[in-house]
Formats: sequence, C-alpha cells, structure tokens
Amino acid sequence: MSAYFQRMTSAAPLAVFRIALGLLIFGSMVRFWAKGWIHDLYIQPKFFFTFYGFGFVKPLGAYTYVLFALCALCAVMVAFGFLYRMASAGLFLTFTYIELIDKSTYLNHYYFISMICLMMIFLPAHACFSVDAFRNKKLLSGKVPRWCVDSVKLFVCLVYVFAGIAKLNSDWLLQAMPLRIWLPAKNDLPIIGPLFNYTWVAYAFSWLGCVYDLSIAFLLLNRRTRVVGYGAVVIFHLLTAILFPIGMFPYIMIVTALVFFPENVHAKIIGTMAAWIRVPNLVNASGEYKYPVRVTKLLKPAFCIFFLVQAALPFRYVLYPGELFWSEQGYRFSWRVMLMEKAGYAQFTVKDGAGKQVVVDNSEFLTTLQEKMMATQPDMILQYAHMLRDHFAAQGFRSPEVYVDSYVALNGRLGRPLVDAGTNLSNEHESFNDKPWILPPGYEIKGF
Amino acid sequence: MTKLNKITALGVVVLILSACGGNNGDPSPGENAKDRKPILTHWADNIIVPSYAAFKGKFDVMVSKGDAFATAPDAASLVAFRAAWVDAYAEWQKVELFEFGPADRYTLRSFFNIYPTDVNGIAANISDPSASLDLPASYTRQGFPALDYLINGVGSDDQAIVAYYTASVEGPKRTAYIKRLTSRMNTLLTNVITEWGTYRDTFISKTGLDVSSSTGLVVNAYVLYFERYIRTGKIGIPSGATVTTAGVPYPEKVEAFYKKDLSLALVKNATLAVQGFFNGKDVVTGTEGPSLASYLDALEAKDAASGTLLSTVIKNQFSEINGKLEPLSPNLTQQVQTNNQAMLDVYAAMQKMVRILKVDMTSAMSVTITYTDNDGD
Repeated sequence: MSAYFQRMTSAAPLAVFRIALGLLIFGSMVRFWAKGWIHDLYIQPKFFFTFYGFGFVKPLGAYTYVLFALCALCAVMVAFGFLYRMASAGLFLTFTYIELIDKSTYLNHYYFISMICLMMIFLPAHACFSVDAFRNKKLLSGKVPRWCVDSVKLFVCLVYVFAGIAKLNSDWLLQAMPLRIWLPAKNDLPIIGPLFNYTWVAYAFSWLGCVYDLSIAFLLLNRRTRVVGYGAVVIFHLLTAILFPIGMFPYIMIVTALVFFPENVHAKIIGTMAAWIRVPNLVNASGEYKYPVRVTKLLKPAFCIFFLVQAALPFRYVLYPGELFWSEQGYRFSWRVMLMEKAGYAQFTVKDGAGKQVVVDNSEFLTTLQEKMMATQPDMILQYAHMLRDHFAAQGFRSPEVYVDSYVALNGRLGRPLVDAGTNLSNEHESFNDKPWILPPGYEIKGF
Repeated sequence: MTKLNKITALGVVVLILSACGGNNGDPSPGENAKDRKPILTHWADNIIVPSYAAFKGKFDVMVSKGDAFATAPDAASLVAFRAAWVDAYAEWQKVELFEFGPADRYTLRSFFNIYPTDVNGIAANISDPSASLDLPASYTRQGFPALDYLINGVGSDDQAIVAYYTASVEGPKRTAYIKRLTSRMNTLLTNVITEWGTYRDTFISKTGLDVSSSTGLVVNAYVLYFERYIRTGKIGIPSGATVTTAGVPYPEKVEAFYKKDLSLALVKNATLAVQGFFNGKDVVTGTEGPSLASYLDALEAKDAASGTLLSTVIKNQFSEINGKLEPLSPNLTQQVQTNNQAMLDVYAAMQKMVRILKVDMTSAMSVTITYTDNDGD
C-alpha cells in the first residue's frame, strides 16, 4: 500500500482533465445564464427547499448573478491553472452553494461535479501546462503521485458501477420501465423515431444501458478494451443527449472518460493546445510533484474516508423500511439516474380551530418545477407544509393544521396516495429517521 | 448539441439497431395510433376550429341583440339580448378549455369569464368610459360575468332593469358600457379565430412532447382548466370545498350568479366539452377520432393490478361526475344553501378526476411540464 502511494505518473492526464473540467463548468454557467435559468430557478421562487442540515444556505436575490459570475471566473482560472488552489476551492464552494440553494434543482451530475471539484482542490492538477507552473518553476513537474490520477478514475468508476447496480431492479429489467414510457414520446424523431413504437426497443435499451453502466469502468481501465470502451461512452452519452433533457451531463462524461487514456495521448493533447496558443508545453519537465509530508499524512486518510463514504452512501437506503423509489428515503447522492417516471399531485388544506379553511393553490407559492418535485418527494412535502403553516399563521390562522391530499404514479402504475391524509404535517419534524406518515405503495420493486 | 453531433449519433444508432436484426416490417395499425400528428390534426380541424366557429355564431347574435338593446332599451330587446347572452355563454363553455396557442396569447379567458364580477368596478368604469380594460384588475369588470350583472342584476325585475338603462343622464353611459364590453370581446375573439388560421399548421407540426410541443401545451392547459376553472371555480369556491371562512361557504360566487338558473347548465356544458375532447369527439359529426383516449390505449396505459385501461378509468370518472351533477338544482347558489353536500360530492368526484388526469394521464404520456434539465428522479 505504501509502495503504491510512492508511485509517480505523468502529470498530463490531470492537466488535461483540469482544463476540460474548467471549460465545461464555464460553459454550463454561460448556458444557465443565457437560458434565463438563474432568474427562473434562484431568484423568482418565493420559497426554497434547502437540504436538511444546510438551512443556512440562503438565496442571494440579484446577487445570485454575482455568485454565478464568480463560479464562472473560478472555472476559467482552474482551466488556465491560475492561482489554482484558490480558484479550485472557490469553484467548489460557489458551485456547491448554488446546488444547495434549492433541492428542486438537484441532479446527480451536479453532485458529481461538486464532488469532483472537492477532490480537485487537493490534487496537483496545476503541476504542468498551467499559468502557475509557468510562473513558478519549482511547481512545474512532469510527474505527479499516481494515486492523484487514480482518484479521479476511481470516482468515475464508482459512479458508473453504482448507476449500473441501481438498474438491477425488476422495473428496469423486467418491465423496461421507465424507458417504455419515455421512448414512445420520442417517436417523432427522424429515422430512429418509429423504432420507439416497439416495446422490444425499450427492453433492448434497458438491458444495453445496464450492461454499459456495469461494464464501462472495466472496459476503460483495461488497455486492450479502452478504445472500444471509449467509443461506447461516446455513443451512449450522445444517444442520451438526443433522447433526454439532461443538459451538459453527456459531454461532461465523454470528456471525463479521457482520463483513462495513457499519458502519451494526454501529452499529445497538451502539445496540440500548446502549439495553438503558442506557449512552451513543458509537459516532459523533469520535476516531480511532492506533497509536503505532513500534508500527505492528512490527505491519504482524507481521500480514503471520502471514498468509503462514497461507497456507502448509495446503500444507506437499506436502513429505511419501505420501497426506495416510492419514499425516496436514501435516494439522492446514489447515482440513481433515469430510473423513474414519477409524477405526483399534492393538494394541501390548511385549517384552524376557528373554522377557517383554505385549499392551497400551489402556484401561489411554488414554481412549476418546485411543485413537480415537491409532489413526489416526502421530505419536500414536509418542508412545504411547514412553510404553509408559517405563512397562514401570519395570515391570522390560529395554530394552523396542514393536511395533504397526495397522489403519486410510479413507472406506469396508476397513482396512489403517498402521504397519510390524516396526518397534521405541521406537527411532524424533519430528521434522518423514517417518516411514518409515508403510506406504503402497495407493490414491491425487486432488486437494488 | 450541434447538428453534426446529432446526425452522427443518429447514424451510429441506426447502424446498431439494424445490426440487431430489427423488425423491418411496417408498424401495425396499433403502432400508428402512437403517432401524434393525426391527433393534433383532428383536434385542430374537427374540434378546436369548428368549436370557435360555432361559438362565434352565437356570439355574433349576442352582439347584435346587445346593440339593439343599447339603441332602444325596452322589455322586448332586453329579453332578446338576455336569451342570446345565455346561448353564447353556454357555447363559450365549449371553447374555454382551448386556452393555448392564440387564446393563450390573447389570454382570452381572463377577458371573457372571470367571476365573481366586480359591481363597484363596473360602476366606476361606467362613469369613466376611458378606464382601461386591459389590466388584470379589470378582468372582473368585463366579459360574460359583467354582462350577467348588467342584464340580470341591476334591477329586481325587467322593468327595473330597463329603467336603469333609460335613466336620462346615466342611461346612455350604461348602454355605452354594454357596447364597449361586447365590441371588445368581439375584437379579442376575432383575433383568436383569425390567428388559428395560420397557427393551425404550426400546431400540427410540433409533434414532440416537450414543454413547447402542441401535445404538451394542450395537455397542460386541459388539466389546468379542469382543475382550476371547473373544479375550483365552478364548484369548489361556492361550496366551500376549497375555501371557507369560519365554516361558511360562498354561494354568491357561482358562475352566472345574477341569472340564477344558469349555473348548473354551464358546469354541465363545460364538463361535457372536456369529456368530448378526451374522447376526440368531432363537434360537427359527433363521431370519435384520434384522441387522448386512443393515444393512451395505444400506449397500453392501464391499471397494473386490474388490467383496466386508463382511458376506461377516465371515462368512468366522467360518468361519475355527470351522475353527481344530474340531481343538482339549476341554481347552484340555491343548491349550496339547501343541500351543499351534493355540491361537495361533485367536488370530490372532480378532485378524483384531477388526480387521474394530472398524474396518471400525463405520466403515462410522458408530457413534460418544465423546460429545465432533468435526470429522471
């Protein structure tokens, strides 16, 4: 083990990854801004669903634009390797802050980027082909510890393998759900569209997708299958880009997977880039990047703990009773992607002892996206119920009681109530404990 | 994604799929029923456009009778105007659900049917003929509900109503307001109908299911209309099912409150229109064509436990609602005051329907309601 931590490898892969990551995040920020989503998602809503334990994260109003600008700036600085440690820390903090503002916008790939950025703060991705290394020849190194590059690979492998394991369930494999619902919606695409009218195509996509997720990490790790594997990465993610509204994620994964290629490929990439912008590439610099000993002492266990947590989080759902897809207790941060067609309806009634009663029009308080997300996720239903309690208490209701008429459909089954309609949610508290007021779905989805 | 990427990816996928030795025969008729273009065409040509045409016919009669009344207010012209207003209001219920595309652009519903009407606001507008009718605050001072007050509510009987309009100083201002309202409605309606002439081709060409697709627009508008304007507006608010203060409902908030005996007929008409649309009922011939029902059947949307088709579940629920509406008094205000439980029963049946339409139907169809990125959780 300690021998492994002594091994060195080329600094080029990390440098290429740093540049790609910085530019992609910069692109995402620009895209978000251009589409007007900063306003729609972070300024317009009257109420924000913070994550449990992160209630201190507050929306910034018009300053949200500043936050995005800072994030974009940090991303560019990371790409250039300019003041790298500061910039990467800034990138992690700003990006993560944005994601913590409102749970309704949670996407696995944002979490992926947050975690990658967290690792990047501590990795010597600026050791070569960076402004920092150009200015500081002591920093400039052709080699970095091997575990640094391997950490990025390991994280990507975990993501794929967990995404694959999550597909090993009866809905995905035996019912071809939810692809069976989603694919016919794309039957008006040119050329391939008509294929989606056939059920067998949904089965084929489900099984191939599952095999892809489970095997791609090993195909990329193995020298002999790497090129084929990378071809599969490109095809798979481009296909998902055509079929589903998943934004930048396909491109992020396509670029990230480059990290598996050997150093000569990365040296070539850097050589080409250096020629373009006419700077010396110095990728073969003789220096070796070495962490100070006391830093290594902290860093090694920290990375080990990080990966242990990452390996454990997707399985925390076993600590909760009931159906995971239904209650979503332990669902997030687990690389469960594209697994559910879930739609819900939640109509709240607020009343008090004096006979005041009102059925809430959710659109008065929530955006369409927020309402959609809230209606299928019990923790958000509870947060919203508490917001309504406080709102109507201020409106003169005396100790308002909040009840919900909820109805949720999952993967093509007809809807059923999600929450016990007789529970006064204003008295229930959020915690990591099981929520006893979530009703059973009446069916079981077998598998992981 | 760039166009080049898309084409490359499509090419690769086609290669893979044909390598799988796929079924190359023509899709069976069952598969064609999953195509959305025939549905959109049927909606536009056989339901939406002819419904507007039928409404325009009744509406024009109302406008001319209104003009005749304004020119010479007397008992006979009042009765004729009122009868034409009833016909037009009833026919309006068959087009109010089409609040997407042109109607959405002109926010037709906001100017035609927001109630309860604002009596003091109407009085203010009568004295100020230049008062704006465009602002949201003016929604409750115009449209059918304002006309309801103006021809049914300004006096205790027809004689008193006619006297209201023949008063020497105020009378002409009042008749002028009626003309102002009807001509404004006419302009808006004409705009919407004209625009459907060009919008029709756009409508049937947007065959996707994303948030800007025609099916997406229609389904979202359809469900919203049923939930907010039929269930809540026509039944929920008057009966106190959606809001009460100290346990007291709001019987005076029914639709066509001043006409008194029309409110039930309007709910029934609106519900029938929504039901007919679900079944793809051609409004001219009465035969059923491609529809939400046929599309759901093609997708094989059904209750997993019983095997009942989702379309059947929805049709049964429509029957249940109609059955609960049947015994109600024509005057829903009276119904609330005498036996409100019957109103609450209608509300409950409609509430069940809202859930089915909003959740089961949209989920089975994979209709998108937001435009942001999503990874399917």
